[in-house]
Amino acid sequence: MSLVTDSPVHSSSSDDFAAFLDTELDSKSSASSASDDEAPNQHHSDSAASSSPDQDKEAEEDDDSDFQSKRVKRSKVETLEIVEDDGGAASLASLKHNSEVSISKEICTHPGSFGTMCIVCGQLLDGESGVTFGYIHKGLRLGNDEIVRLRNTDMKNLLRHKKLYLILDLDHTLLNSTQLMHMTLDEEYLNGQTASLQDVSKGSLFMLSSMQMMTKLRPFVRTFLKEASQMFEMYIYTMGDRAYALEMAKLLDPGREYFNAKVISRDDGTQRHQKGLDVVLGQESAVLILDDTENAWMKHKDNLILMERYHFFASSCHQFGFNCKSLSEQNTDESESEGALASILKVLRKIHQIFFEELEENMDGRDVRQVLKTVRKDVLKGCKIVFSRVFPTQSQANNHHLWRMAEQLGATCSTELDPSVTHVVSKDSGTEKSHWASKHNKFLVQPGWIEAANYFWQRQPEENFSVNQIKN
Amino acid sequence: MFFHIVLERNMQLHPRFFGRNLRENIVSKLMKDVEGTCSGRHGFVVAITGIENIGKGLIRDGTGFVTFPVKYQCVVFRPFKGEILEAVVTMVNKMGFFAEAGPVQIFVSNHLIPDDMEFQTGDMPNYTTSDGSVKIQKDSEVRLKIIGTRVDATEIFCIGTIKDDFLGVINDPANA
Ligand SMILES: [Mg+2]
Ligand SMILES: [Zn+2]
Repeated sequence: MSLVTDSPVHSSSSDDFAAFLDTELDSKSSASSASDDEAPNQHHSDSAASSSPDQDKEAEEDDDSDFQSKRVKRSKVETLEIVEDDGGAASLASLKHNSEVSISKEICTHPGSFGTMCIVCGQLLDGESGVTFGYIHKGLRLGNDEIVRLRNTDMKNLLRHKKLYLILDLDHTLLNSTQLMHMTLDEEYLNGQTASLQDVSKGSLFMLSSMQMMTKLRPFVRTFLKEASQMFEMYIYTMGDRAYALEMAKLLDPGREYFNAKVISRDDGTQRHQKGLDVVLGQESAVLILDDTENAWMKHKDNLILMERYHFFASSCHQFGFNCKSLSEQNTDESESEGALASILKVLRKIHQIFFEELEENMDGRDVRQVLKTVRKDVLKGCKIVFSRVFPTQSQANNHHLWRMAEQLGATCSTELDPSVTHVVSKDSGTEKSHWASKHNKFLVQPGWIEAANYFWQRQPEENFSVNQIKN
Repeated sequence: MFFHIVLERNMQLHPRFFGRNLRENIVSKLMKDVEGTCSGRHGFVVAITGIENIGKGLIRDGTGFVTFPVKYQCVVFRPFKGEILEAVVTMVNKMGFFAEAGPVQIFVSNHLIPDDMEFQTGDMPNYTTSDGSVKIQKDSEVRLKIIGTRVDATEIFCIGTIKDDFLGVINDPANA
């Protein structure tokens, strides 16, 4: 700070000021300066028994901890003087000690800190323990016990309001953003269609010139957030940085109704390239996650509802290796009423309803992850699936992700053809099993049929995935 | 607490500021450098109120810069442990609430909110007594007691409590 570098010499008048403060304030808050005395980080508290003008000059350049230690020095000096005066030091010391005890009542466990001070006793803490909650407020940290305590009390509060937690990813889940420099010629027309940033609540396409970015909100997102907010306490959790996350939150929530102090960015995570529920103040048994990236949630897959990626811009398609024209280039968009967010909202409603209505008997044992599993198992219930040339022959069929996905959706999978089989999944209509399917009037569908059911949480019309229509 | 005090500071000036307006140049640089900054010792410098005296300049060897010792009066603001402060609530959540008194940011954790006040979620999260008579929400004005302070270069952090007699809401925006 320039104040310090420019000004190594200070006048005696500021020393008068300091002396005045010490006498005025130490007498009033002797208890707190006594607690300073015991703070471990007051390193030179016994180095100076007198306060010569020289030392005060030094002190002026220092930060608060030195200010405090200076006060400690003085109060120590006072104490010593009293010792010498009447020999009754013990009484004063114990008096100070008692008044400190009466403030904190018992030894403080320092459950968390704000600006490195304990949030309960105000003492300066030196270690950086616990988890940072910078997304709630700068300088806030909480210890594990405090997090558990907050989760428990919050859970009761939330259940009373019949709400659960919903963690929402941004990119490809609620919206799609592109750098302006990555926009193609076919996308140039978009420049004329961006909505005003003055009243963002009406638009869905925005130019953020300060970030050199264009953002398209996913169709249905505003209705989705409004409806979901009735059932959930919602968080944003993105791998983007904080500035981006807050900018997007402004577009999605211009009224600041949903995400106030609940926007988590990669700056807040505790592990690189991973998202974790450790920074969310909600119990895992009540959290649902919407995200298009399964691998970001390695530890919380049971909470995850995997989203079909929303690729609006060409750069987004290319990034994921699609060489087709993007929605933007075709001047079209996902369906508002039948798109991913509309389908998922129905799923959320169902889960919410089961959690709060059908499980009413068993309040304590309720786990939304269990509900999620049950609802998922209904999607392909009654289907018996045989795969044909979908997996490499040498690999274990029941390890394949489509096999497991089908089973999670409630289907039975088999390697043998028999009359109970309902679907043959294949990329090729020429295989033996495909022929068998046509001959016995069974559904013959592409692998995408399972993936679509997984994204939309609904058995999809088989004719949309028929194998004959696709030329390989 | 506010204080009106005299501070001294050595101002280094580039020779291009010399001439008829030297004094004005020194004062405006002083204001720019000092107002709005914090020091652990004095707290937050709110405003410079006057110049007591500008001493003789001293040329720095080899640079041409000149250092002037300046004595100035200013108003500073510094919270102290044990001090009672009035502040405006900026954010309420399940952990407690945050409040501001000028440049000072204060956190009152729910450990230090009276036990009969309970947290309520919603569009306007708040702490409310069971009979609903007292409510702390964003923009409420509260009287609190400081139990810890830390002063950074530009910010002052405090821990506060309202768990004591005569502390708590002094003006509820909902009833205004
Ligand atoms: Mg994503
Ligand atoms: Zn503590």
